[in-house]
Amino acid sequence: MKNDNPLSPHIQIYNWHISSLVSISHRITGIINIIIITLICVWVSLLVLGNSNYDLIQKFFETYFGKFFIVGTIWSFSFQALCEIRHIFWDLGYGFEIKTSNITGLLVIFGSFILTILIFGRNIIL
Amino acid sequence: MVQINLPKNSEVQKGEYYKDKTGSKNIRKVNIYRWDPSSGENPRIDTYEVDMDNCPSKVLDLLNKIKNEIDPSIAYRRSCAHGVCGSCAMNMDGKNGLACTKSHSEIKGDINIYPLPHLKVEKDLIGDLSTLYKQYHSVEPWLKNSKKDDGKENLQSTEDRAKLDGLYECIMCACCSTACPSYWWNGDKYLGPAVLLQAYRWIMDSRDEERKERLKKVADELKLYRCHTIMNCTNACPKGLNPAKAIASIKKMLATS
Ligand code: SF4
Ligand code: SF4
Ligand code: FES
Repeated sequence: MKNDNPLSPHIQIYNWHISSLVSISHRITGIINIIIITLICVWVSLLVLGNSNYDLIQKFFETYFGKFFIVGTIWSFSFQALCEIRHIFWDLGYGFEIKTSNITGLLVIFGSFILTILIFGRNIIL
Repeated sequence: MVQINLPKNSEVQKGEYYKDKTGSKNIRKVNIYRWDPSSGENPRIDTYEVDMDNCPSKVLDLLNKIKNEIDPSIAYRRSCAHGVCGSCAMNMDGKNGLACTKSHSEIKGDINIYPLPHLKVEKDLIGDLSTLYKQYHSVEPWLKNSKKDDGKENLQSTEDRAKLDGLYECIMCACCSTACPSYWWNGDKYLGPAVLLQAYRWIMDSRDEERKERLKKVADELKLYRCHTIMNCTNACPKGLNPAKAIASIKKMLATS
């Protein structure tokens, strides 16, 4: 039987928790990372085709947007890596209490920024 | 399928405004989702000004007050008023819970009340849970045991009984399942946290003889693995149970068996 009754509001009204925010970001960064990996592959292939390509890409990385791209990439991969570690613990059966999952969620968020600073900052300092 | 937007006929409109008539100084605004199947119109949000000086503490009391004193046409489910029957599950202040155990003083600002999310609405705050009940039926939530009835008790050790703690308390209110984004998008295939917690309850029962078959049944990729540990379910459960953990335990049993 077809039911034409309205559908009650869902994502429009539901509150976000740390857990759901981290989860959705995990998925989004996953997609972004696939795109970035593809770009890196294209970049490497371009290098095979000649020196001038290297210069071009190097120039791009020196622009503000290029820098933003690098920082974004580092963050996205850091976030993904930390999320996956969190998932390993879940798979082993740990960390399901609301409190624990909120703490590990926050650790993932802050950790991803700290990792980004450490990895990118290394470039500036050295 | 992930569909973020509500269908056209489900878009919520501004409804009526019921001004306070008591002259009370202690007024709160309560916004309630309304839909009347006989009207042919879209759902709407009606706003009621309520005199809080003469209102008991729970959201259900608030609804009763509105129904008794302001607008008798509003429909919602309730029975026990003590957090036992699970009828009064709804979305309050952006979170699923039982209206009879949720205090309105916990809610800041205007009080927003919606039906449980992503259900076909039957009327106002009443959502259609028949799919969930069918899914519940599909896990065969009863004891399967070949023992002949010899008039004696079917005994269980204290330890085995303890394994059901945190599971048997579930009142099937559906707060968890209707809080789960995976259930929203795949409710036709994914069993959802409430039903999986029940499935686990029977898998863990030492007196049940069909653990293997039960596990096999829920092992179906879509039925179970749609859970991405978003934890909305555990956050929502008004009985303090942990469906996300129960699901993980099933996954672990499957992985190690
Ligand atoms: S943990 Fe699993 S069942 Fe619970 S809300 Fe998330 S996806 Fe749904
Ligand atoms: S697990 Fe909790 S939220 Fe889910 S149906 Fe049972 S009592 Fe309700
Ligand atoms: S009325 Fe029974 S649980 Fe709220």
